[in-house]
Amino acid sequence: MSRSTLQPDTEPVTSVDHILALENTTAVFDGFKALDIEHLEIARDELRVVIGPNGAGKTTLCDVISGKTRLAGGRVVFDGTDITGWSEFQIARRGVGRKFQTPKGFGSLTVYENVDLALPGSHGILDNIWRRPSLKVKNSIFEVLESVGLAYSAGMKAENLGHGQRQALEIAMLLISKPQLLLVDEPAAGLSDTEAFGTAELLLRLKGHHTMLVIEHDMDFVRHLDAEVTVLNEGKVLAQGPMREIQQNPEVIEAYLGR
Amino acid sequence: MNLLGRFTFKFPSIASPYPEVERFRERALVFILLAAFVVLPVMNLLGVIEPHDLNRIGRYLCFAIAAVGLDLIWGFTGTLSLCHALFFCLGGYAMAMHLSLAAGGGDVRPEYNNIPQFFFFNNVESLPSWWAPFSSLPIALIAALLVPTLVALLLGFFIFRNRVRGVYFAIITQALAWGAFLAFSRNEMLLGGTNGLTNFYKPLNTTNGWILGLYLLTVTTLTLVFWACSHLTRSRLGRVLIAVRDNETRLYFTGYRADLYKVFAFGVAALIGGVAGVLYVPQNGIITPNVMRVEDSIGMVIWVAVGGRGKLWGAVFGALLVNFMYSALTTDMPGAWPFIQGGMFLAVLFFPNGIAGLWERLEDEVRSGGRVGRLLLGVAFTEGFLIVDKLGFLPDAGSNLLVAGVEVQYLIMLGGAAAICWGRVAHTAIPLCGLGWLIVTEALGMMPSSLDVLKYLVVLWTFAVYIYLRWADRTKHAEGLGLGARILMAWK
Repeated sequence: MSRSTLQPDTEPVTSVDHILALENTTAVFDGFKALDIEHLEIARDELRVVIGPNGAGKTTLCDVISGKTRLAGGRVVFDGTDITGWSEFQIARRGVGRKFQTPKGFGSLTVYENVDLALPGSHGILDNIWRRPSLKVKNSIFEVLESVGLAYSAGMKAENLGHGQRQALEIAMLLISKPQLLLVDEPAAGLSDTEAFGTAELLLRLKGHHTMLVIEHDMDFVRHLDAEVTVLNEGKVLAQGPMREIQQNPEVIEAYLGR
Repeated sequence: MNLLGRFTFKFPSIASPYPEVERFRERALVFILLAAFVVLPVMNLLGVIEPHDLNRIGRYLCFAIAAVGLDLIWGFTGTLSLCHALFFCLGGYAMAMHLSLAAGGGDVRPEYNNIPQFFFFNNVESLPSWWAPFSSLPIALIAALLVPTLVALLLGFFIFRNRVRGVYFAIITQALAWGAFLAFSRNEMLLGGTNGLTNFYKPLNTTNGWILGLYLLTVTTLTLVFWACSHLTRSRLGRVLIAVRDNETRLYFTGYRADLYKVFAFGVAALIGGVAGVLYVPQNGIITPNVMRVEDSIGMVIWVAVGGRGKLWGAVFGALLVNFMYSALTTDMPGAWPFIQGGMFLAVLFFPNGIAGLWERLEDEVRSGGRVGRLLLGVAFTEGFLIVDKLGFLPDAGSNLLVAGVEVQYLIMLGGAAAICWGRVAHTAIPLCGLGWLIVTEALGMMPSSLDVLKYLVVLWTFAVYIYLRWADRTKHAEGLGLGARILMAWK
């Protein structure tokens, strides 16, 4: 499927290379339309922040992209492939990585083993009986652990980590899997200001060579990221633009403060 | 120990990041292997262990093999399967079919003498065609391994692919076990109905040569199965299985087909169950549909829970402990067994990691400087005492002197053991010594009366719970319980 056919007729064909496109995407729970997005595109290597009041459909958006929730209509196109209706593991193997809102990792495994499991292209059952990691792979795992500040906790069981460290572990697992698109659901949730700042810095360092979709509540955090913001409300895209503009937008203020 | 280093036959499950602990495990492993492969057979040949006792050890080792399989699916992937006894029986029946054909003996009339006896009772006069291939041992063995594995793979594939898990999976497997029990109980199945298959070649479980041979075969198989599974669970695949238990949803988003991993574990578990059944049947001499009931599968779950799920040796230890306890206690008071079994379930609430958890605490002690030498000395003292006692060198005055219902000589023994290994390891060592004592005495046919065992166990578990509560820093409860233990000791 050529990329140009993915552009809807109403929009002018742009030269921007889109990695993700949602078209008329709807998700329905018990007759309630949790998500109803006419059009949403994310450019390659873009950092996009999605905000919105509670129940706006932010996590549902992640669920729809990563295959957890089946679509009621419309389609999701990732990197030129229509991934509508694919299973979670297929989408993950195709290059969409996801960090969950509540980071748990795999509690009885060590930090190192957690990251090791997230290595790309290592999912077969029989391969895994005999697979021994090469020195290069081991080093790359430690590099990633270093970058999120977990290198000294490599031998610790994930269940013994603090909340902030678990967030870091989830991000490390995302990084090692080298996804083309990172879905980061509330990276600052439950973090102290310093930890949140560290996480924001980490995301900023990744900016430019990873495509990221970050969902966040914390406005200071979003301001710090200084990225294009999409505002969701009642499952619909309410506004889109830089944070500065969004904050002035009367509709957005209405959605956050009204009712 | 250097001895192990010379062999490439390594058990990865004894690996530990702490060298003291690893040495400790290696020593324990060498000790156990020596006891199983050398000491027991020699004692049997010397006549110290009666053939029927060795036969019983062999049968319980078959249960231990099955428990290793169950641990793979329940302990590692966290999927409770309640049809493990069925896989055990499927293997067992295939072997039993071969043995009944080999024995023949249908009737005094020569024309019927080549078919198993129950056919004659069921008015079947010629061998059904699907029975015929089982007269060849290789075909019977292949069927014994293939049938349970295929059943598990097929069932697992359709259940897990639809993301059925937890309680729902347990219920489905329970229904399967029950359905199979009903089917196998029918005479129309031509598998002996409720009477099952029996009348095999008699010497298999009566003459010492066969018994010793089958025992050695079982020990070897258990060692191999354990070795293979310990490699499997320590591999990357094993880590994925643990990840399934911890957070299955997350695993799908990491790109793994968690469902297929579960199918694989379920299949391997069934295969191991089948192997255990094959070895069990000739040693037991009979197999009936009664062994595949849901209750039996739950019993297997209890073995693993008591031993410690998620630890392979825990499954082995649990299977042996529960079964020897069963055989010790049901001798005099068969009615009490359901209550004891229920009590074990309660004990598991206090010790979610079972006996393996206790052992790990002991290892923590070792790591922080506790003395293992003393512990081993304490164990040696205990077991030596019992053997000397059994050989009749000690005066039998103890049988009249009872303290808290326990013969005083056993109290002396326990006290001696406690004194020897007193110190930092004592708290965990005493219950472990006691459990070891229970297995060894019962296995060797040296058990005193089962009432003693029961009281001993009550004291033992009170001790254990007391220790647990102290470890968990619930000192208040521990004090109360300590008082209870003292009252219990004083009670006659």
